[in-house]
Amino acid sequence: MAAIELRNVRKAFGTVEVIGNVNLSIEDGAFVIFVGPSGSGKSTLLRLVAGLEDATAGQILIDGTDVTQLGPAERQLSMVFQSYALYPTKTVRQNMSFGLEVARLPKADIRTRVDAVADILKIGEYLDRKPRALSGGQRQRVAIGRAIVREPVAFLFDEPLSNLDAALRVEMRIEIAKLHQRLGATMIYVTHDQVEAMTLADRIVVLDRGSIQQVGTPMELYQRPANLFVAQFIGSPKMNVLAVRPDGSALVFADGRRADLGVSFPPRLAHVGFRPEEVQLLSIGQGHLQGKVEVVERLGSDTFAHVGLGELGIITARMPGNVLSISPGQPVGLGLSGNQLHQFSRDGSRLS
Amino acid sequence: MSIVGKNASSAKFRRNRWLLTGLLSLYFIYTFMPLFYVITAATKSNQDLFSTFGLWFAEDFSLWENLATLFTIQDGIFLKWMANTAYYSSVSAVGAALFSTLAGYAFAKYRFFGKKLMFALVLGAVMIPQTALVIPMFLMLSSMGLTNTSLAVILPSLVFPPGVFLMWAYIDDAISNELIEAGRMDGAGEVHIFSSIAFRMLMPGFATVLILAFVASWNNYFLPLVMLNKPDMFPITVGLAQLYSTAISGTGGVLLFTVVMTGALVSIVPVIAAFLIMQRFWQGGLGAGGVKA
Repeated sequence: MAAIELRNVRKAFGTVEVIGNVNLSIEDGAFVIFVGPSGSGKSTLLRLVAGLEDATAGQILIDGTDVTQLGPAERQLSMVFQSYALYPTKTVRQNMSFGLEVARLPKADIRTRVDAVADILKIGEYLDRKPRALSGGQRQRVAIGRAIVREPVAFLFDEPLSNLDAALRVEMRIEIAKLHQRLGATMIYVTHDQVEAMTLADRIVVLDRGSIQQVGTPMELYQRPANLFVAQFIGSPKMNVLAVRPDGSALVFADGRRADLGVSFPPRLAHVGFRPEEVQLLSIGQGHLQGKVEVVERLGSDTFAHVGLGELGIITARMPGNVLSISPGQPVGLGLSGNQLHQFSRDGSRLS
Repeated sequence: MSIVGKNASSAKFRRNRWLLTGLLSLYFIYTFMPLFYVITAATKSNQDLFSTFGLWFAEDFSLWENLATLFTIQDGIFLKWMANTAYYSSVSAVGAALFSTLAGYAFAKYRFFGKKLMFALVLGAVMIPQTALVIPMFLMLSSMGLTNTSLAVILPSLVFPPGVFLMWAYIDDAISNELIEAGRMDGAGEVHIFSSIAFRMLMPGFATVLILAFVASWNNYFLPLVMLNKPDMFPITVGLAQLYSTAISGTGGVLLFTVVMTGALVSIVPVIAAFLIMQRFWQGGLGAGGVKA
């Protein structure tokens, strides 16, 4: 098992810089998730750790040893790919044995190890099949099995669940969580799905345009996002953000509306954010802002109301259960809590 | 035959289908006629060859006599030519397919200095007819003392630019980068990844290039004509041409016309056989290109 550290890592393809000066340390046994939109550099960062890409500058350390110049295999990491990348001409057993054969392990040992891992992942009955005779979920298990048998110092996952259908994705997500508990191994996992990030991670690394926006536990990111990008990327539905100007204990919105929240705001305040569950839907005339319900989404467990605020755009409010008293077209008041508001400066960074 | 966007029962579809069938039938007749002429000519006696209708059989069926003459003329040199052709073609084809696969793999899957220029050269080479290169190659091989050896025919045939291009396109599609990276994560070296993972997935492409290079080499006339001057080293193409020139030069060689025709017929049988055998690899392999999600 291993601790992984990135020091001033940069990566450029030609003149295009995709990773700019990343510093990150990952503790032994941690489950760390790189999350970010397409093109944020999360996969490139993972491939740099894997050794599949060479860093333009900086150092990568595994358990204190500089591995920057080492090839993928010498770093003793395993990787699970988005497309599974199973060897199509080999059987499941041969797929799982390949890395061990390359490492010249005795045949009997290979057999024992493959059988043991096949047992854990419940793929024992498919061992003699070719990958094309397996379903998506089974292929995913084989890919994970192939990673496990090598007993690597850490596991790397590159969007491993994005090719599965929604139900299977949830199932495999839970399996991966169990696997992490069972193996206690360091895992780095790349995804653009923030639900996967929230549910699996010990720590989340949010990336945007090649730089780290914030590193923290899922709840830290949710409750105290470091900037507007993280605030709007983490959480579903995403955080409501409104442009404001402070005026004593009141906020002046972009269209000139005013709301007195009874708390003092710093002069640099330029945006306020509030989660859908942090806004109260009230009768018209009450609360701090007035709007009109445009769309109601009923999920059974929750009801989402999308409320139009004219020029200010649409905000989302969440209410537990199936709230029957609201319907589209209905004018409503919105209640905000001054203490709960996330406050951001003009450049998007968090205030307070 | 399906035409995208047209319903199979629509009038337009039926019209298009007839049109296509008609065009293809014309093309079939055009390509099959010379072959049919060879077949009929090979079954005729020398006299009938010039006195009967070219595209139908004569009353006397002389194929067996013609075959007997073909294989016994000049102490059975035709057999020697066949063996030569088979040897040159199979060695050239295997070599050309192997080099094409390796080069195509490198072009498709590696980043290296000068790749664009080299690939442009390969593409350019596709457009240069080998005939144009034969004389310079003769001078080169002659100064190396290799003319009049089998290498003089085989070495130039190992370079097969269309094969490189074909394999590049095939490999680019059939082998995902992730698959190669999975091999690297498993600790396998590049040669190992190529030989134990990639190569088996490339069999359909390899078979295609193999058969194309085989046919190109089997039918090659000008290269061996220039490189070789000993009759017992000739391939069939050069040998038959020599028989033919003996036939038209008149001196009692009139008898040879049907023999040349029979020789031509016999020489295409192995090519057809090779096509039929290799077809299985194409069909068997096309679906095995890769495991997609």
